[in-house]
Amino acid sequence: MTATSGPLAVVARHPDRATLVRAVCIREWKEALGNRLLVGMTLLPPVVILAAGIVAVAAAAANPPSERDVQALYAAAPAVQGLDPTEAVQGFIATYFLILFMLIPTVVPLTMAIYSIIGEKSSRTLEPLLAAPVGVGELLFAKSLASTVPSVIVTWIAYAVYLVSVSALGSGAAVNAVTAPRWILAIVVMVPLLTLLSVNLGILISTRVNDVRVAQQIGGLVVVPVVGLGIAQVTGRVVINNEAFAQFALVLIAIDAAVFFLARLGFQRENILSRWR
Amino acid sequence: MVSVLRTEGLTKRFGSLVAVDAVDLDVREGEVFGYLGPNGAGKTTTLRLLCALIAPSSGRAEVGGFRLGRDDGQIRSIVGILTEQPGLYERQSAWDNLVFFGTLYGLSAGTARVQTERFLRLMGLWERRGDAVATFSRGMKQKMAIARAALHEPRILFLDEPTTGLDPDAAKTVREFIIALRGEGRTVFLCTHNLDEADRLCDRIAFFRHRVIRTDTADQLRAELYGRATEFRLLPSPRAEDLARVRAVPGVRDARFENGSIIVETPDPLRTNPLLVRALVDGGARIAFVTERKPHLEDVYLRIVEGRE
Repeated sequence: MTATSGPLAVVARHPDRATLVRAVCIREWKEALGNRLLVGMTLLPPVVILAAGIVAVAAAAANPPSERDVQALYAAAPAVQGLDPTEAVQGFIATYFLILFMLIPTVVPLTMAIYSIIGEKSSRTLEPLLAAPVGVGELLFAKSLASTVPSVIVTWIAYAVYLVSVSALGSGAAVNAVTAPRWILAIVVMVPLLTLLSVNLGILISTRVNDVRVAQQIGGLVVVPVVGLGIAQVTGRVVINNEAFAQFALVLIAIDAAVFFLARLGFQRENILSRWR
Repeated sequence: MVSVLRTEGLTKRFGSLVAVDAVDLDVREGEVFGYLGPNGAGKTTTLRLLCALIAPSSGRAEVGGFRLGRDDGQIRSIVGILTEQPGLYERQSAWDNLVFFGTLYGLSAGTARVQTERFLRLMGLWERRGDAVATFSRGMKQKMAIARAALHEPRILFLDEPTTGLDPDAAKTVREFIIALRGEGRTVFLCTHNLDEADRLCDRIAFFRHRVIRTDTADQLRAELYGRATEFRLLPSPRAEDLARVRAVPGVRDARFENGSIIVETPDPLRTNPLLVRALVDGGARIAFVTERKPHLEDVYLRIVEGRE
């Protein structure tokens, strides 16, 4: 038997960062695609939100609102007062579902991020992984990216499909609401930032918890401020102008960095091998 | 031979528990070094220390010329480790598992594929390369884990219980692999409870219980603890006068009957055994076999580690 290809024929070294990230992402995605439960849990929320949004806009276009509905709408959302009632209702509904779109990046990647760490814990694959000549920070970054990218892409695709559907089925007000600059910015800028927050929070929780369901319940709390801010924005109680939007984005970047730093602190070779059970 | 791994006072504490206590080791390049000790003695902790997976509380170590604590990345590049659990990605194929780890060790895509094919063939898993690891038997998973540990052709391979739970055929493949590694000048650090395997494979053995109690070759330890004994099997069974003749030969330290044979202890068997054969033949005895009497390594282990006679 010849065990190897000869003395030092193959030389191991630290892989470059791009190769590491690509390898980890491909492995994680293959793993995720092989897990039907995970695929289902990941795709169900965006599919349901998208379908519900399209049906709601189509229903609003087909059925003119009653006077009672219009008064209720004006009371709930003072910002739409003065608009044609039919247009106002459609615009409100179209925007309301955009808030739900902001939930996709908080819900979808959380499950994948949690599985990414807790799955490795339960299958005892972390020790050989950590024995390789890669930095734990790089590994964590690669894992974080592996959960972030699909979620952002899924949200963007869902938004694109929603935009096309609203354009085909809804009124001009509905289209204007969906393509408002602050919502496009929210989709383009906030979705990746919220996804990163959710992913890193999931990783942070996973360093402390061994049960996927417990981790999901704790991580699910991230939706509360997002929903609150979204509802306040739609109803006109809080109007986020461009300056406030930029400030909010900066705060989110800072929170993302802080949560990643905390996750990095919890994700150390010594801790993982000595204390994680 | 050149040292490839040296430790001085290497210690690891977890709170008040001292798992590894001031360990001094000197492992030579190209040897199979056995590390024997009871469960909970700190063997796995030692392995993790030497593979730069955890940091020592005190002491120092050099692995392949790299200093532990300073050159941890380089150390991880030149060592391979087989952990207690195979730790494979069960949903993924054998091929994907190995190529992924090859990439983590910095092998180019082409080299990772070539090495993956080599090791899958070597371990007899090539035909199953596309199957999910979850469908593999325990022995196949263990062979996969060994392939993964050796994929980047490390200078030192740390193996933690490599044949535990394997059927005889798979265990033989693993043992042949270890022998082949030694033949190519690579160093194997072998933790095992299988004393027969350690006896067959290891050039030297360290007996360990939180600290290294003794390091030497198995034969040297046997000779030191039990002397060197030769068994004379006679046909028919030996008589009292045969034993008397044997005892009269110069250089014999002890002679006794045991299970129908005469067991003779002597410090210099090369010189004494021909005299013993002549004495027995001259006395009319018919000698069927003359064999070296080796105490089982288990006896040596129990005496050194457990302090049992």
